Amino acid sequence: MYNPRDIINLIGANVRKSRNPFGIPSSQINTWWREAPGFTRRPGDALLLTGLMYQAIPYIEATTRYLERLEDSRWADYLRFAPLSRYIPSFVVGRGLACLTSRAEKKQFNRILVSMCRLLTQSAADFFYHPEMDFYSGILLYDLGDQEGFVEHAKFVARNLKLHGVQKIITVDPHTTYALKELYPKYTGVSFDVQPYFALLRPHQVSRGNGRPPVAIHDPCFYGRYLKVSEMPRQLLTDLGLPYTEVRNCGEFTSCCGGPAESVSPALNREILDRRVAELKASGAPVVTFCPICLANLLKAGLPVEDLASLLDRNW
Amino acid sequence: MALVNPDFAEELKAFGVDTALECFNCGTCAAICPLIFEHFPRKMIRYVQVGATEKILQQAQELWRCLHCGLCTQTCPRQADPAELILGLRRYVVDRWRRA
Ligand code: SF4
Ligand code: SF4
Repeated sequence: MYNPRDIINLIGANVRKSRNPFGIPSSQINTWWREAPGFTRRPGDALLLTGLMYQAIPYIEATTRYLERLEDSRWADYLRFAPLSRYIPSFVVGRGLACLTSRAEKKQFNRILVSMCRLLTQSAADFFYHPEMDFYSGILLYDLGDQEGFVEHAKFVARNLKLHGVQKIITVDPHTTYALKELYPKYTGVSFDVQPYFALLRPHQVSRGNGRPPVAIHDPCFYGRYLKVSEMPRQLLTDLGLPYTEVRNCGEFTSCCGGPAESVSPALNREILDRRVAELKASGAPVVTFCPICLANLLKAGLPVEDLASLLDRNW
Repeated sequence: MALVNPDFAEELKAFGVDTALECFNCGTCAAICPLIFEHFPRKMIRYVQVGATEKILQQAQELWRCLHCGLCTQTCPRQADPAELILGLRRYVVDRWRRA
């Protein structure tokens, strides 16, 4: 396990510098929209705000691969007593990290955002997207206990969104949804009308997926427990005639995939992940989930898993 | 011998922790916690209750094992909100580091 103090210092410095956890300009991370069909910058009722989480996965994975090798190596004990930043030449800072990320991985996660955009358009949702207004929420700072850093960043984001007249926000992942819906009103005094994208989807045709084998649902902790919206994706699957099966520990009692441990201990993440994978495998069905961190983690375990948006888009 | 700080639970209110005294140490949170690690988080909550500030600072790194998964809060019979308590303790420790 790494010293959280070093991780907090690194991530805090990166957020101050680039307004995201990686120290890379957000415009370099956020490129999905270039391939998105017919999105509009304005006018529109609600801002689609991805919070950069799906786009961040290839960068998180590159970081973790690096950390995992160090954590399991003979250097591990030595690292415990030394500032981590000295041993990570450029892994979470700027261009070095950008070079470590895989193009295929970036494409894979960008495609999910394109699917969400298409689904919203096909559901006649009144929304707009503006890459410069797509901010990282700061949730990792909050989770790590860097309250000062989180509040400073959240106020920056809230101020900018208000300046642009944003009232309604459509989110795509549970962590950003939780930050904007629950934490921003509490810590910035600014409230938005926040909804996850799947709450706005309106399938027209029923029974498209008839005859398909069922999928097993892995509920992310923040949607299942904190925001209690597990029913919405299930309703969409039902509306589309896509069968699903429940696994042991689901909905409000879902098991964590271990992803949040990744930044301080890839080894601990593996331990929790293996247990969840066993529960999911017992269903014998391919897995569907709706959180980029869960998705990346389950993919790493070699499970057949895809994002809800990809599944819906294919069967819409 | 450990020194105790009887005002600790009160001090933690500034870090968003105000439910520690609700806990009656039943251990449900430790039983359900996926970390399966030395009575975590119950142990930390007990330290808060008895004002064992030093113990928490000595074992501070353990706080960052928590996944913020919320299972403990979901199942706590006393609404002591252990997951939020752990987050609050992180905020407290980070503040101590920064002021040191
Ligand atoms: S926090 Fe709740 S579940 Fe945990 S020991 Fe205390 S009362 Fe029991
Ligand atoms: S929130 Fe933390 S302490 Fe509570 S059950 Fe999850 S990992 Fe354990």
